[in-house]
This record gives sequence, structure tokens and C-alpha cells, in this order.
Amino acid sequence: MPIAPDVYKKIVMAKLYMDENFHESIDLDRISREACLSRYHFHRLFTRIYQRTPHQYLTRKRVEQARQWLADKDLTVSEICNNVGFESIGSFSVLFKKEIGYAPQYYRNQAWLKKQQGLTQPRKFIPHCFIETCLNG
Amino acid sequence: MITKVSHVSLFVLDQQKAYDFYVTTLGFKVNTDVTMDNGFRWITVSPPEQPDLEITFLAPLAANMMGYDDETRNAFRILLEKGALGAGVLHTPDCRATYEELKAKGVQFKGEPKEQFYGIEAIISDGVGNWFSMTQPTPQAGAQHP
Repeated sequence: MPIAPDVYKKIVMAKLYMDENFHESIDLDRISREACLSRYHFHRLFTRIYQRTPHQYLTRKRVEQARQWLADKDLTVSEICNNVGFESIGSFSVLFKKEIGYAPQYYRNQAWLKKQQGLTQPRKFIPHCFIETCLNG
Repeated sequence: MITKVSHVSLFVLDQQKAYDFYVTTLGFKVNTDVTMDNGFRWITVSPPEQPDLEITFLAPLAANMMGYDDETRNAFRILLEKGALGAGVLHTPDCRATYEELKAKGVQFKGEPKEQFYGIEAIISDGVGNWFSMTQPTPQAGAQHP
């Protein structure tokens, strides 16, 4: 059964709200109410559209932000865990490893090494044919 | 035997604007972002659920792209400024939801999503010279997709 255009907009707005406020405690009951949908319908429609439950989506969003900050920001793993909205470093580490494939500290170390190599030896990252074509003709 | 496509080039008017569109707006992931001494920047990004395809942004009008002569640059300029390059098809599990979300973020479309025989499709511009079909395929329509 097709979803009505106004319902689409409500679900999309709820998703955008989650994107902007993922680091805070997100109350899915409140989001459902603001979308003028029951929790059941909000959960069902969100999952149908995004192929993940709202909770799964939020977890992935937080893990993805943590991944970026581990690579880019000079914050401890605990600080990043808290800043992206996880309450427990234990559950954060487990979920991070499940989504990304590595423990947070290991991922950070690898990202840092890659960044250092990119600064000192950028040619190692660029296929030679692109250098030939783009820079030398 | 060739088994996969690992890298594709996307010619763009401006690398940083391309980065903003594909990474910040669409949520593509950055694989590599390095800059050589002469200022040549090599960026590769991947669609969120396709990590083994790297898309690199090449800006043929940039001053450090010495491999292109003036005639070639001018040809690129005309095509990119016209938005005449159709770059491919972007897959979405729900075209209407993605359309609403990206429209709210200011992305340009050529009209609203439409039902086609291969799925629901909207035409999206990346704002740096390329347009894509953004398609939610109908189940089992893969073989018929344009």
C-alpha cells in the first residue's frame, strides 16, 4: 500500500531530526507524536522506508559519527563515546566493532597511520595513470 | 579476467563543492583525501553501502591539471557548465523519501519522482556539472534497468 505524501514528509522530517540530534537522548515516543503517528505506525513506516528500525538507524548514525571523529578529532575514545550519544563505553565498543569491524582504538590507530602517510607520501595513494593523465598529459 | 570496477572518475567543476555534495549531503564515505606538493588533490569517496567502489573527483578546470590543453579544458567547461554529463544511476531503497530529504537540503531535481517501468525515478543534479538518475528499482527489474 502506497504511503501518502504528507506521511512521507513526516517520516523524513523525523529522520532529519534524528540526524541533527543523534548525540542527545532521542525519545522515539516523542518523535512519533510530533509526526502525528502512533509509535507502532512510526516504527513500521520508518523501517519500511529506511530498511532499518529507528533504533538501528540511530545506532548506525552514532557509530558513523564516532568513526569520523576517531579519525579526525583529538578526543579520547570515552569522550567520543559520550559525545555521539552512547551511555556506556562497553556497549559503544561492541557496537563499533560490529558495524566497522575493528575496536575503536585500533580503528583510530589505523586511520592516524593512513593520514600520516597521506601527508608525507601522497603519491602512494594515487594510481600512477591518474598522475600521468592529469598532471603530465 | 576483469571482475569488478574499483575506481571511476567523475569530472566536476569544483572538487570542494563536489565533496560537500557527495559527502555532506548524500552521506558518501571518504576513502582517501591527499594533496600533492603541486596542489593536486586526490579524493575518493564510496557510496554508503558500496565500500569497494571508489569515485574520484577530477576538476579539469583546476590550474594544476596540467595534463589537459586549453581546447580540452574548454570542452570540459562547456559540458560541465551546461550540466550535459549524465553520470549514472544512484540506487535508493525509497525514491520518494530520499527525494523529500534531499529537496529539504536544497538539492536540485528535474521534477518529482515518476513511476517508470524499471522503478520510481527522479533526476538529480550534483551541482558540479553532472546529473544522475536516482532510482528505486521495482523488484526483479534489474535486468531491464536503463
